[in-house]
Amino acid sequence: MVSLVHAELRKLLGLPTAWIGIVLGLLAAPALVVLNASAARSAVAEGLTQDPSDIGFQYLGIGLLGAMILGVVVVSSEYTPTGDDTPGARQMSATLLAAPRRIRLLTAKGIALSLVTGVQGTITAAATLVLTEQVHGSLVPAPTPGRVAAAVLYWVLIGLLASAITLLTRNGIVTLAVLVVNSTVVSLSYLLTKVTPWAAYLPDIVGAHMFLRSIDVPVEIGPVTAGAVMTTWVAGLLAIAAVLFRRRDA
Amino acid sequence: MIAIDHLSRPGRLHDVSFEARPGRVTGFLGPNGAGKTSTLRVLLGLDRARGGTALVNGRRYEEWPRPLTVAGALLDGSGAHRARSARAHLRWLAASNRLPRSRVDEVLELVDLAGEARKRAGRFSLGMSRRLGLAAALLGDPPVLVLDEPINGLDPGGIRWMREFLRSSADEGRTVLLSSHLMGELAGVADDVVIIDRGRVVARGTVEEVTAGHPTLEDAFFALTAGGHRADGASSRDGHAGGGPW
Repeated sequence: MVSLVHAELRKLLGLPTAWIGIVLGLLAAPALVVLNASAARSAVAEGLTQDPSDIGFQYLGIGLLGAMILGVVVVSSEYTPTGDDTPGARQMSATLLAAPRRIRLLTAKGIALSLVTGVQGTITAAATLVLTEQVHGSLVPAPTPGRVAAAVLYWVLIGLLASAITLLTRNGIVTLAVLVVNSTVVSLSYLLTKVTPWAAYLPDIVGAHMFLRSIDVPVEIGPVTAGAVMTTWVAGLLAIAAVLFRRRDA
Repeated sequence: MIAIDHLSRPGRLHDVSFEARPGRVTGFLGPNGAGKTSTLRVLLGLDRARGGTALVNGRRYEEWPRPLTVAGALLDGSGAHRARSARAHLRWLAASNRLPRSRVDEVLELVDLAGEARKRAGRFSLGMSRRLGLAAALLGDPPVLVLDEPINGLDPGGIRWMREFLRSSADEGRTVLLSSHLMGELAGVADDVVIIDRGRVVARGTVEEVTAGHPTLEDAFFALTAGGHRADGASSRDGHAGGGPW
């Protein structure tokens, strides 16, 4: 298993698209702290911010685009045609010839991805929160270690969620487009919460409750409950994707 | 040793059985769409069969802990992501099966790609991609080689090299199974032949046995497969113009 994880790390970190995810994820949240500093300050001054301790953390919710990209790429790179001459040929054949036990392979992929997103999430969270303190000083309460850990966990889970969905669709572009639009432009999950309060339990919304305090949804969800529900979502989707992956032709 | 036993797959393979033995080159022949690639992909655990077994040295391919050291396979394309260099591709493969890093440069040398090791696989010509695929197959120095249409995309020099390579691999005691729809390329190099047509094995044996009663292996092939099923029932070289596999 160690050798498979090693191989999967090599594969992931050898892809230029993965580095887009890594760099974007590392820079987006800290950059937003600085760019959005005066707007955040005046929002607090005018009493528009329900919980100032969310400042900093809320930018992590956008920076996790990086983890999403990594989650998609770790799977979609296997299904990209390897050449124009051979449209049916994919890296997946080479991967399965080297690691034919599919559940073991997926486990190795999941571990490799989580290692990368875990390190990325930790560095980004630390940088973002330190920068927030520098920029806002005592305006924003100091973050508790539990909340920081929850944010990193959310980051890792989002990466795994993206990889599970990509494994189901076997198409990185569609998956990435849907995930990016949903988390930046229009959150379909958020809109759904206006229709039914149950939508607050959709993975992206519920996961944010792990580390954000003031989310405008009709139900109250505690951080531990949120973590449990989010983990269940990810585990469930991964299980379905794994069963199909095991059964389908490569 | 490769043992395929009563393999079936709805609409594709019907009770396919044959063996490929060590020290011999086994040619797996059939028109396009006859089930050659499908059989090889099932053998290698890539596609699923409904019934039957396919064993590599006595075990299913998936059951070998370090499969690259048991069987090397050359399938369609190089298997390398187009953004990856040849060396990077072979390095992750080596890492996955705990093979020494030095082996990567050895196989690159062997297939004459050492000078292109840093080039991205997406920029490779078809012939170079095939050679990179072969390098990956040889990485674990396996006793069994499975090659799907290995001649495709090679220039005349490459074809000659491949024939010599296949022959010497078998002479070293390896089991060599290769599929082809190009008869002429195979006649000189194969010891044994399995002919498949529309998902069924229609002939198997040594080249001499299968050719018996026909002027050449090519004629035997036409007589035995759909390519030879012409309206007049003739199995002659005229079949070429009749939309046969050539």
